[in-house]
Amino acid sequence: MVSLVKRIKIMSAIMAVSLFGGLLAGCSPNAGSSSTQEGGNAASQAASNAEERTLKIMTGVIGGKTPEENTQFEQEIERLTGIKVTMNKPAADYDQKLLAAIASGEKFDLLQISKEKMSTFIDQGILTPLTDQVNGSKVLSDPNVIPAKEWEQVKTKDGEIYGVFTKYQGGTMPIVRKDWLDKLNLPEPETLDDYYTVLKAFTEQDPDGNGKKDTYGLSTAGMYELQGFFSAAGLKQRYVETADGKLDVPYSTDAAIPVYEWLNKLFEEGILDPNFTTNDTGKMRDLFLADRVGMITYWDAWVGMLNNTRHEQDPNTEFEAKGLPGAADANGNHMLRRGDPDVWVIPVNAEHPKTAFEFIEWWHSEEGITLGSLGIKDVDYTVDNGKFTLTQTGKEHASDHGVPFWYNRNVEAPFGKLPGVQEAQDLVDQYAALEMTPSHWADAEKIINEHSFKAIMGEMPAADAVKKMREALKAGGYID
Amino acid sequence: MKAVFKYKTLYFMMLPILAYFLIFSFYPLARGLAISFQDYRLIGDRPFIGFDNYLRVLKDPVFWEVFQNTIVIGAGGFIINFFLPLILALSLNEVASAWFKKMTQMIVYLPHLFSWVVVGGMWILLLSPDTGIVNQIIQLFGGQSVGFLSSDRYARTVMILTSGWKEMGYTCIMYLAAIVNINPSLYEAASMDGASRWQKVRYVTVPMLRSTMKVVIMLNVLGILRLFDQIFVMSNGAIAKKVDVIMMYTYQKGILEFSVGPATAAGFLVILATFTLTYVTRAVIRYDEG
Repeated sequence: MVSLVKRIKIMSAIMAVSLFGGLLAGCSPNAGSSSTQEGGNAASQAASNAEERTLKIMTGVIGGKTPEENTQFEQEIERLTGIKVTMNKPAADYDQKLLAAIASGEKFDLLQISKEKMSTFIDQGILTPLTDQVNGSKVLSDPNVIPAKEWEQVKTKDGEIYGVFTKYQGGTMPIVRKDWLDKLNLPEPETLDDYYTVLKAFTEQDPDGNGKKDTYGLSTAGMYELQGFFSAAGLKQRYVETADGKLDVPYSTDAAIPVYEWLNKLFEEGILDPNFTTNDTGKMRDLFLADRVGMITYWDAWVGMLNNTRHEQDPNTEFEAKGLPGAADANGNHMLRRGDPDVWVIPVNAEHPKTAFEFIEWWHSEEGITLGSLGIKDVDYTVDNGKFTLTQTGKEHASDHGVPFWYNRNVEAPFGKLPGVQEAQDLVDQYAALEMTPSHWADAEKIINEHSFKAIMGEMPAADAVKKMREALKAGGYID
Repeated sequence: MKAVFKYKTLYFMMLPILAYFLIFSFYPLARGLAISFQDYRLIGDRPFIGFDNYLRVLKDPVFWEVFQNTIVIGAGGFIINFFLPLILALSLNEVASAWFKKMTQMIVYLPHLFSWVVVGGMWILLLSPDTGIVNQIIQLFGGQSVGFLSSDRYARTVMILTSGWKEMGYTCIMYLAAIVNINPSLYEAASMDGASRWQKVRYVTVPMLRSTMKVVIMLNVLGILRLFDQIFVMSNGAIAKKVDVIMMYTYQKGILEFSVGPATAAGFLVILATFTLTYVTRAVIRYDEG
């Protein structure tokens, strides 16, 4: 009896551990099966012409804002294209659900993923190359629909295209309270010293006029978007490939030391929001909207959204957010960051690859863009004699059903752009470039962050922090 | 076999439970084990590659960093989550006012009911360098504001203490339940022998809580390597290197990088380590001996 009890107890312990293991490992019932799936693409190719006009799509942000509206979104696509669509749009944890769905053997014709994820999928050989189809497409090869140079963003080293843009992806920059600049009679900053003067004034000269010293010059969400300041040293965020073909992290070079010292000065003088390490982007935006901070570092599209939010609350507000080109380097050049674009990709086991590509082309047409931006006719907007009117639902959805901005120059935005966005996008076009993100970025980022924060918060002299950062990156094999 | 036939109804009643564990625990576990030996692609061939994934994980310096963090934070949490609830339960047992006792129990138990998303967010605010109440108190006494969650000097301690704060009430209830079951005649006998209150606690209450302590130890040991939610919510770039744990590593590899093979291998190393830890703990505390 004792031994039975003992065995039961041991089994219980094993079960407890196993349960935990199950949680870890339970994502893939189809783990062992395999080669059968790869035939899917070949079969689809063979049956291409007789392909059923139906699509199964998984998306993160494209579609309706609610499950009900998502169903209407599917019906709207069918009405406009004749393609019967089933859309899987998880409410949260997209990557996790995407991984679980694909690994469990679920087949999709189209996936919406980031460029970063696309690189991983290419490495795993699970995406259909689209180079020939893109080059042969009247729509997609038209530079008015997608500018020719933009394709460089999604091309692999050997020139293959696996993904087609779902929308125009902007970039990031310092966003300033222009009304505070005007109130304090300050010019828009150009150099790092100018930025210091402005940010110090925002902190000390009561720009919100409430008689209290309760404002910060600058707030960020960690190291998320400091490109606009490292621009002063001509340093690019994340990785670059040096002239001799080596991978390097510019923020870990000696040239970055003055920028860390400058940021440390802001921190020591209480100009930089002391919560910048724990802020998420939402908190950073809230501080900006609540008159607590005069400058944040964020996306171009948010210039308009910030302006719109405050004007919706108070039509008479003087609030004005404006994008800045970042600090100029010694030669007067600026450097901003272009965001990784989202793309449509077709998995190798897609059952309707032809229809999927047809959909991608349609997505860049006026009808597709209208659906992706304004939303569903008679739900989000109405049209009367060619005049568009947003419904209350449409206003709440802010003309964003996955495509707030697009490339196609032939399609005008019916309601124009929100205030300040066009100027911000022009800055991105002029100064921003895509950054390089190798597969080991997450590990390298930890090292970069650790030492950068120490330098900024004065826990270590900037020169030492950079030295240690570089040593750690080299030791981990993260730079050549 | 005779016994099985004799008690067939009871065995029949067990079937759904067995099926549940087989389908939702052991099947995924077996699948996961297979994945950990595969060059796993989301679609297509997944050839077996032996122990390559395990070797890749074991050779990864980041894995050993997070392993060290896990052990330090897990062990700290283990100690805090063992002693604090015990001290609290013993103290509450001495409280005469039933109202105060119940109120205190409810207050300390409440954080256990909230998810780490709520508790973590709350502590981030409370520890904020400018408006956080903790720093305001420090400043009130003339101290300098401390970046508790932005300096790796404090990060691990904060994780351990907040974890203790959240779970203290839950474990405390286990001790209190055990204290209620202690035979009052033992206290009466101690009183007759002239024992003071402290001596009753030391020589009656604490020894009688031995079995509960073993359960608490076992539960805490099982949780040491499973830290995730708290770190996921409270970690940030400034302290990640000191607080990221193994489960964060598997999350990063599996979900963020879609490297399912190494992620699963890391997961099985956690299972193996937990199994070993549990086995050793059982032997050390003589768990089966009542």
